[in-house]
Amino acid sequence: MHFDTLHNQFQSGKLGMWLFLGQEVLFFAALFTAYSVYRGNHTDMFHYGQYFLDWRMGGANTIVLLFSSMTAAWSVRCAQLEQRKGLLITIAITWACAATFMIIKYFEYSHKIHIGAIWGEHFHIHSFDELPLPLQEKLSHIPVPEGKTQIEAVNDYLGKGGLGLGTFFAVYFCMTGLHGIHVLVGMGLYIWLFVRAWRGRYNRKYYSSVDNIALYWHIVDLIWIFLFPLLYLIG
Amino acid sequence: MSDATAHDSHDHGHGGALPGTIGHVTSVGTLVKVFLTLVCLTLATIAVARMDFGRLNVVGALVIASIKGSIVALWFMHLRYDKRFNFFILFGSIIFLVWMVSYILFDTKMYQHDMETYRHGKTIDGKPKPE
Amino acid sequence: MAGGVVEKPAGYGAPGAVPNYLNHVAGIKSWLITLDHKRIGIMYLAAVTFALLLGGFFVLLLRTELLQSGGVLFKNNEYYNKFFTLHGAVMVFMFIIPGIPASLGNFILPMQLGAKDLALPRLNLMSLYLYWIGAVMFVLVLVFGGLDTGWTLYPPYSLDRDTSIPLLLALSAVFILGFSSILTGLNFIVTMHRLRPVGMTMYDMPLFLWALYATALIQVLATPVIGLTLGLSAVEHIGHIGIFLPQYGGDPVLYQHFFWFYSHPAVYIMILPAMGVQSELIATFSRKHVFGYKAIAWSSIAIAAIGFVVWGHHMFVAGQSPTAGIIFSFITFFVAIPSAIKVFNWVATLYKGSIELKTPMLYGLAFMYLFGVGGLTGLFLAAIGNNVHLHDTYFVIAHFHMVMVGSTLNAFFGGVHYWWPKITGRMYNEKLAVIACILVFIGFNLAFMPQFVAGTRGMPRRYANYVDEFTIFHQLSTIGAYILGAGVLLQVVYFIASLKNGKKAPKNPWGAATLEWQADSPPDFHNFTKPPIVMAAYDFENWEYDPNTGGYELRKEVVEAGHSLATVHN
Ligand SMILES: [Cu+2]
Repeated sequence: MHFDTLHNQFQSGKLGMWLFLGQEVLFFAALFTAYSVYRGNHTDMFHYGQYFLDWRMGGANTIVLLFSSMTAAWSVRCAQLEQRKGLLITIAITWACAATFMIIKYFEYSHKIHIGAIWGEHFHIHSFDELPLPLQEKLSHIPVPEGKTQIEAVNDYLGKGGLGLGTFFAVYFCMTGLHGIHVLVGMGLYIWLFVRAWRGRYNRKYYSSVDNIALYWHIVDLIWIFLFPLLYLIG
Repeated sequence: MSDATAHDSHDHGHGGALPGTIGHVTSVGTLVKVFLTLVCLTLATIAVARMDFGRLNVVGALVIASIKGSIVALWFMHLRYDKRFNFFILFGSIIFLVWMVSYILFDTKMYQHDMETYRHGKTIDGKPKPE
Repeated sequence: MAGGVVEKPAGYGAPGAVPNYLNHVAGIKSWLITLDHKRIGIMYLAAVTFALLLGGFFVLLLRTELLQSGGVLFKNNEYYNKFFTLHGAVMVFMFIIPGIPASLGNFILPMQLGAKDLALPRLNLMSLYLYWIGAVMFVLVLVFGGLDTGWTLYPPYSLDRDTSIPLLLALSAVFILGFSSILTGLNFIVTMHRLRPVGMTMYDMPLFLWALYATALIQVLATPVIGLTLGLSAVEHIGHIGIFLPQYGGDPVLYQHFFWFYSHPAVYIMILPAMGVQSELIATFSRKHVFGYKAIAWSSIAIAAIGFVVWGHHMFVAGQSPTAGIIFSFITFFVAIPSAIKVFNWVATLYKGSIELKTPMLYGLAFMYLFGVGGLTGLFLAAIGNNVHLHDTYFVIAHFHMVMVGSTLNAFFGGVHYWWPKITGRMYNEKLAVIACILVFIGFNLAFMPQFVAGTRGMPRRYANYVDEFTIFHQLSTIGAYILGAGVLLQVVYFIASLKNGKKAPKNPWGAATLEWQADSPPDFHNFTKPPIVMAAYDFENWEYDPNTGGYELRKEVVEAGHSLATVHN
């Protein structure tokens, strides 16, 4: 060991983690920029895109992540106080919340893919009845040109050459997808942490991993805190 | 800049910390209170978004999200009790993010008009588009 | 423990040999799993040298092709496109970005702090492995048919194509190399914050470390942006998602914004460490406290910061709005201020110094001239009106090669010569080294000065062919490239020879005052056999020449008192 004190070693790991988190912020920066650029220049694209997103699902996921953030912070406390049982429980709850988040995400994704509300050139709504109800109402009056069906007219209106919702869904899937990958990585880390905690590796002077993984988990939460209103709420 | 080897931790007594614990211990009460505040703010942002304030909706959503983010950073991530340099890292990276977003947004807004002109068959100085 | 497995100094090499980091354990495995920053630094040094030779080989092919209009080498121009792409990509991502920090920085940084290792040694090894993976992927790009997009990988041309494998390999390779770079930078910052010895403040650190610190800030904050951009590019290529490709509703200029948000700061990842090496060389071989220490230190940070706000000067003719162009042009001029502060302070350090023209110093002096030319031509290009005229001509090529090769490669050579005795424990052949240095200098100027002229007369970059009036410039340039290549090969020869036949290096052959020179040459596994006497980086009066060893030794008073002779400096 080449640090003079455990404390210095702890602070070094923590500083390293913070730098990594700074890196994470800029990792997402390009996506936030893409979001702003397309939203800023094509307000309608986002206005219509939003009808496809269910704020109840996004809201539920927000609460789930916030709760997991609390238990993650709690796990640090347990490690500091050497409460082994508490540490295992809080880690397990954090993991379970992450899993819940991914399950809800799965339902959201599969529904969109099912109705054809996806990225880029693949955006193509299969049938009018599958559109979200408020959108059906809104689009029921659009003129249907001679020789076209209603759903074709709707796709012309929403898709390529029209509002370009393909790009909206590209932004949506990239942002939530990258965030989802981070959630999955976090789940992996918490499994590793659980095993180590089970073996009693941590004590009040040595719990760097618990602290750093919690920091990582909080930044995942923090990014979602911004994604939720940007994607689900402001149309 | 910090002195590398100085013992800069404060063993705060509260939270029932054991002697020699490294780092600040957050009490359960604080954790729960922070969580509940965050939930309230989430409900608030949903409520605000469902009303129509026009362009102000974006501002409102971002302000509330920033408050929530700060709460997470200050309490859950211990930044309140942490070394100031860690705070600067987060703050600095956010500054760069904001700079990147705003400048690129500004530029794309400026050239959007040129793109439209071109799409309608004209170059920027009004001549017909070369084919 | 963060320190990881400390290899036990078990079987020392030959009996009677002084144990050092090279011989305390042997075998390939001991290298592959080492956490020792010195061994990792050496492996990086070998790897980046390989990348340099590979990229150099590509460019010699290109220059040969350009000996005559119509070409002399390749069957068709596609080969030309592929080789200039790979030349750029290999040189940028595999040589020049990791070049100085990952090899020399890795080796020297902990030693200049008097520390045993970097703060996070495992992470260091991981970043080396990431580098290797990225490098192998780049070589695979070549195997799978190459890529003709240019190193910038601009859409729509790069992403809208049928062949996927080389493109995806290149995108992932840069992504992975980027993370290698991020982890190195992160590790450096933590080390400089946490492992400075008692009594060494930030302002006592050698300027090389300040430069590495500024570099590391850019590595950590800018590199993720290119990672994500290339990730998005891959997704765009596979899924046609409509973020960058216009035919699906995307915006290719957005790609350029993202790309240059990283790649302009990346230019400073390339040059800042070189400036750090330069500060060491100039101070040591002038035997004088460096002039304006704080100004040089903070100008590194200033360059890093300004580097983040000027990226649009690469996009003046790309469809960026004129307003943004004017602002970017204006801000770009500010980079000249901290750069000029550095040059001014180096020159002022030379003034009344007792200058010793050893090989590293020759590179140091060449640096000032080449960086001067490279930096000042940068100002021409920053002026937006001029830029529109010179954009994508050989003038740009000559400018950035002056900075990247003329300055960074030059400083890399200077640094390798300077620290070679410490790293290997051997002296290289000084005569051959001087000859190589002169060859490099002449070759370099001959290669790029004509390109400035050709550029102003309208020779566009990336063209496999040219009209006859450019022949003379291209031929001169090609001859220069050959001479430069010969100089580099000569270096490789005498460096390798020195490992066998070189004179044993003394502890401190140059009389430098930074801490690494208090260690043995080559250093012990733990770097220092006894704790170094912590002193400010440029107190040269603490050392005196010892004719018995051929190097410098700490003065007796210093050893007895345990601290520097100078109680006050600056
Ligand atoms: Cu630039």
